[in-house]
Amino acid sequence: MTTRTDGGTTTDGMPSLRRLAADRATGVLYSDVGAVYLTDGEVVHAESSAAPGLDELLARGGRLAADCWQQAVRDGGARGGIARRLVDSGRLSRGELEICHLFALFDAAFFVLDASPGAVRFRAGAGHWLGPIRAVPAGAVEREVRRRRRLLDRLWPHPAVDTSPVRRLPEPSTGPGRGRVPRRQRDVLELADGTRTPYAIARQLGRPAFHTLVDVRRLAAAGRVATPPPATPPPRVPPAAPASAGAAVPSPAVPSPAGLSPRRSTEKNPVRLHAVVTDPDVELLRRLRDALEEKL
Amino acid sequence: MPGIDECLLEAMVLPGARGAAVVDWTSGLALGTVGESPAGDHEASAAETAELARMAAEQPSFGEGGPDDGPGVEDVIVSARNGFHLLRFVETGIDSTVFLYLWLDPEEGNLALARLRLRALAERLVLT
Repeated sequence: MTTRTDGGTTTDGMPSLRRLAADRATGVLYSDVGAVYLTDGEVVHAESSAAPGLDELLARGGRLAADCWQQAVRDGGARGGIARRLVDSGRLSRGELEICHLFALFDAAFFVLDASPGAVRFRAGAGHWLGPIRAVPAGAVEREVRRRRRLLDRLWPHPAVDTSPVRRLPEPSTGPGRGRVPRRQRDVLELADGTRTPYAIARQLGRPAFHTLVDVRRLAAAGRVATPPPATPPPRVPPAAPASAGAAVPSPAVPSPAGLSPRRSTEKNPVRLHAVVTDPDVELLRRLRDALEEKL
Repeated sequence: MPGIDECLLEAMVLPGARGAAVVDWTSGLALGTVGESPAGDHEASAAETAELARMAAEQPSFGEGGPDDGPGVEDVIVSARNGFHLLRFVETGIDSTVFLYLWLDPEEGNLALARLRLRALAERLVLT
């Protein structure tokens, strides 16, 4: 497999994405928090340790039993045909697969492109084992990431709530937080035990992480969950050695030191994002193992 | 079984259809769009209609929080000078907040027909 890095040392993934789209590049743009997969300059998939994966959205939502996903992975995964297998099995409609896939794609892309704490890197030629489902123009992904950032800031301009454990507050006797909480926010509130982060709550509910951030910010604005002081989450960490990109790029097979981002602390296996670009079969086995472990 | 694009193209066959979209009302994301948009920008329209959908979906008067735990609202219809705007909530097996949106010309559109067609499309988009 041809591999190269484009020498990109930017802390913002957007310029890299724009350049790769203009070049109609095929490969994977990745950082410490995830990866965005491109085919001919269009975004075909994204994964992030800060966002539940497509399999989790399908399984936790109750749509697709874990064994059905694993069967599709076995039958079609190695050849990149898992999407077709899932639909052919009759357990999932094309529409649902596309909806879920786009949820996962935009969810992960938001964290990779907006919040990556270090440099983003590009590996040309690498595909994703999931196979083609629906490609999105890079410009649309970029606009959506920016819109999402603005939406969060408009709802409650305190990013600390995104990464801190969510702590429920007693219902206020007056003010905007008085009264009933909509059902979807109530689901989040019920899991806000002071230890789970929004990401952990998202996984538990089988919902995209961004959707949970929206609910948490709304709840915080209404005074139903605590807003930690801004010092709690560390600011964006600059790359370790911005001047010498080549030396600073870690091997994709070796996880970089934990703790760069508070989001990573909840991820069981951060390396899985990068392993996929080098050997899909290893990745398949890894995911099967994870799925089996979760069932135990 | 249609995907998002096939579903939208079928909606555009309706008389007076000017534009259609599949939108997520939690994030305001346009998952797919076709035709024109009343705001001249599908992404902006999606965010605006998503806000309306959310407001409707979260009101107990419209059945939110009912015994079956599903969304109480089925459609939201806005009649405006620039046409009819139909929002049809899609009940998916996954945990999602998606609706179909259709913009109809005020002269050529047939609201009753469009509402029935949109309901059928929403059901075919997912397995029921």
